[in-house]
Amino acid sequence: MTSPVWKIHRNGLFWLLVAFAAVIVLHADHLPSWILLAASVATIWRIQLYRSAWRPPSRLIKTGLLGLCLAGLVVEYGSPVGLEPMVALLVSAYLLKLLEMHHRRDAYLVVFLAFFITALDALFDQSIGNTLYIIGCLSLVLAALLGLHSTDADGGGQLRPLGKAMAIMAQALPLMLLLFIFMPRLGALWSVPMQQQSAKTGVTDTMSPGDFSRLGRSGELAFRVSFEGAIPAQQNLYWRGLVLAEFDGRTWSRSPLSRFQDSGLVQWYGDPPKSWDQLIERKGEPLAFSVVIEPTQQRWLYALDTPKPDSEGVGLTRDYRLISAYPLRSKKQYRVNSWPEHRLEPQGLPPQHRTVYLQLPEEFNPRTRELASRWRKMVSDDLELVSRVLTLYNSEFVYTLQPPILGKHSVDEFLFDSQRGFCEHFAGSFVFFMRAAGIPARVVAGYQGGERHPDDYLVVRQYDAHAWAEIWLEDRGWIRVDPTAVVAPQRIEQDLQSVLGSETDFLADSPVSLVRFRHIGWLNQLRLQIESLNYNWALWVLGYDQIQTAFLRNLLGDNSLWRIALALTGVGGSLLLLLGFWLLLPRRRERSRDLLDREFLRLCQKLEKAGFPRQVGEGPRDYAQRVAESRPELARELVEVTRMYEAMRYAGETPDARTLARTIRSLRINRSG
Amino acid sequence: MRQVVDKLITSIGRVLIGKDEQIRLAITCLFAGGHLLIEDMPGMGKTTLAQGLAAVLGLSYNRVQFTSDLLPADILGISVYDRTRGQFEFHPGPVFSQLLLADEINRTTPKTQSALLEAMAEGQVTVEGETRPLPHPFFVIATQNPLTQSGTYPLPESQLDRFLMRIELGYPDPRSERALLSGVNPRSRLAEIKTLLPAKQLLQIQQHVADVKVAENLVDYLQRLVQFTRDDPVFYYGLSPRGALAVLQCARAWALIHGRQYVIPEDIQAVFPSVAGHRLRGAGECANHDGDVLANLVLSAVDIF
Repeated sequence: MTSPVWKIHRNGLFWLLVAFAAVIVLHADHLPSWILLAASVATIWRIQLYRSAWRPPSRLIKTGLLGLCLAGLVVEYGSPVGLEPMVALLVSAYLLKLLEMHHRRDAYLVVFLAFFITALDALFDQSIGNTLYIIGCLSLVLAALLGLHSTDADGGGQLRPLGKAMAIMAQALPLMLLLFIFMPRLGALWSVPMQQQSAKTGVTDTMSPGDFSRLGRSGELAFRVSFEGAIPAQQNLYWRGLVLAEFDGRTWSRSPLSRFQDSGLVQWYGDPPKSWDQLIERKGEPLAFSVVIEPTQQRWLYALDTPKPDSEGVGLTRDYRLISAYPLRSKKQYRVNSWPEHRLEPQGLPPQHRTVYLQLPEEFNPRTRELASRWRKMVSDDLELVSRVLTLYNSEFVYTLQPPILGKHSVDEFLFDSQRGFCEHFAGSFVFFMRAAGIPARVVAGYQGGERHPDDYLVVRQYDAHAWAEIWLEDRGWIRVDPTAVVAPQRIEQDLQSVLGSETDFLADSPVSLVRFRHIGWLNQLRLQIESLNYNWALWVLGYDQIQTAFLRNLLGDNSLWRIALALTGVGGSLLLLLGFWLLLPRRRERSRDLLDREFLRLCQKLEKAGFPRQVGEGPRDYAQRVAESRPELARELVEVTRMYEAMRYAGETPDARTLARTIRSLRINRSG
Repeated sequence: MRQVVDKLITSIGRVLIGKDEQIRLAITCLFAGGHLLIEDMPGMGKTTLAQGLAAVLGLSYNRVQFTSDLLPADILGISVYDRTRGQFEFHPGPVFSQLLLADEINRTTPKTQSALLEAMAEGQVTVEGETRPLPHPFFVIATQNPLTQSGTYPLPESQLDRFLMRIELGYPDPRSERALLSGVNPRSRLAEIKTLLPAKQLLQIQQHVADVKVAENLVDYLQRLVQFTRDDPVFYYGLSPRGALAVLQCARAWALIHGRQYVIPEDIQAVFPSVAGHRLRGAGECANHDGDVLANLVLSAVDIF
């Protein structure tokens, strides 16, 4: 008699494969394409195995496949450090194990891997849609686990495990909510290096012609802002993000000054004021607002001028912008106070700053330099020079998303020949002109404007990206000058679409973006609804840790860890205790029966050591009799024990495991006499 | 109870030497209120056992020898025109008895075999549109030859299922055979058997069977046994719920005739081959295996815990 070979029930296999596909799709956006191919091969192979059409991979083939996967990973990622290579490694292990399921425990391993890999995806994407998908995936994996245990006798067909899995998920919901609300976010014990997402759109720390026009093609979300008071007028919404001061003839990049991030040039929230803080003159009432920013993998944050951070982990830099203490790997919420009325360094620039903000490469744009020095001599006042340049822009220039490509002397060509450009052309050429005329100037990059959501917050998208200029004037300090506002005032007062709506390039990279269809009433309504849902998700679910800190502080007096731990253990422990009582009380009898079996099995072990193993399916009485035939001296005791066991177990006498245990213990059996 | 059963066994044992275990199973089947199928080669004492049982139980007894030309009416009865009274009168067939011995049941055609079906299942027969109740208790003890013998019609599965138990007698052991050969023909002693258990007492015992206690974990054990026959590829089909009920009922009766008011695993194991054997069919490699072999296979593969 061989024991029946374990066979995966078709329900189990079906759901295992469905869950497998779902998990692979979940990670598809950051897995190399060959893994997707390998996953399909593994699925087909597994199905053919079930149909007994193909043979399971031999040891040699398995080793080969493993080698191939590892080689693929090395070629793809090079270094194993980082989240993406690790996930890819796990996924390849997962799909190889799928081919290697021989026993139930192998199937368990596959199921647990699936659980883990599913949860990992939350590190990549925590949006509401993805979270729902993850929950769906978990249900499928759970269904697979249940399917592994189904038999033909269960009935209810293929869908039964899924229904059951959904029920289990629903039952887990209260506990999940409880943990979500009360469990303190303790912070990671280790950090996982994320792969830089190079393809991510967004403002970068350099600006060359064409960069911002690319952003105009994307409708992706950048950040959302909710104001404590009314939302300021559209033309005042300059979201300052980066200051670009160094020019190499083509590209504007950050000055060495602003690259020092952790030196004395950053005023972190909560730190004592740095010496340069007094250079800022803040006047009037501040605007208070809070921003939820999408992950950018960068450290810079956006705020209105002139900002002061009001959240942990946010700092103000020497060039008056905000940065985060860590790169933004997930959504982040921060609060800011901004003083629209301000003066920055009106008393004078430090000499080394003046050098930085007047720097120009020698060998570029001679025509512009020549014009600048000519005009410099013609006017007496800096402001007059500025208005002259702006008038020049106003006269001939065209604002477009499709500027012509520029050659070596990009500023010259733009100012004198093409005269067509996007914000980066205007801002870049303006700053160049100012510096050539001896006025300290810099490019500021960020976003301008944003869409007002009916629920009273502001949505800023990638196509709101903008660049403008700042110049420094004696007694006035740094002031903002936006040449784009002169050329295309609608861009600043309304939005990009009002200027370029007819241009085909607008939103070209987001062909299905709902923003594109905002002139269709109900679709626009739907878009705003989805937008609102996403915002609230970010604010209340992803940003819950900030709410929770305050809430726990109110509830428990302070939020030191040990108090929270104590409260949680107290509440959780007593709940578990109650649950335990409720579960155990009516089943005590049942439990003591199990104790009887345990004692009887102890007797079996004892007899087995003496050389009489119990056969499968052998009843206690037959067993005792068989042993007694070989060992007559034990017969009386064995009959007695068996009678006692039978009486308690089958005849319904009060179970008394202790007496049984005593009797069994008193049994002295010598090795085969 | 034990003494009663022992007396029954000794009594029948005088005509069927050396088959105490089979006699005990047969009595179990009757106590459990089911019909009995005895299967073996000709001349093994099938009919003797049936006659002996009828004798000790003191039941009204009819015997039908099944042949290939037997018709349903020969069993159930027929209406005959009575000229003196000018009307049809029903002449009940041999089925109207408390114990019907259907000898060599598989020698007759399926049509006649199925005539017994309603009688066995419902305890009533319908003849010429009129339903007539059968006496109470009503037992059928059928004997049959192994199917490999020529001139047999295998019983359909539906009818096999009506039999609570199927037992085989087997060759006697040498000592019993010696006693048989050297003594008087035991069949001649049949007439000497006295009624030991009147029908009324039998009905009481049947009621007691229902009161025998079955512990929860024994039901689990039984379920595992049944499930095994449904899951394992060795079986062409598994045991039906009626089959499982039959095992339980017989285990209760078995416990009772051993003087216990509760069932132990050994009771289930003792009756399982006889109750499940004719309800199982092997598949694949085991297609030709006998039902008893398959049933024992189940017992040795499923543990009692």
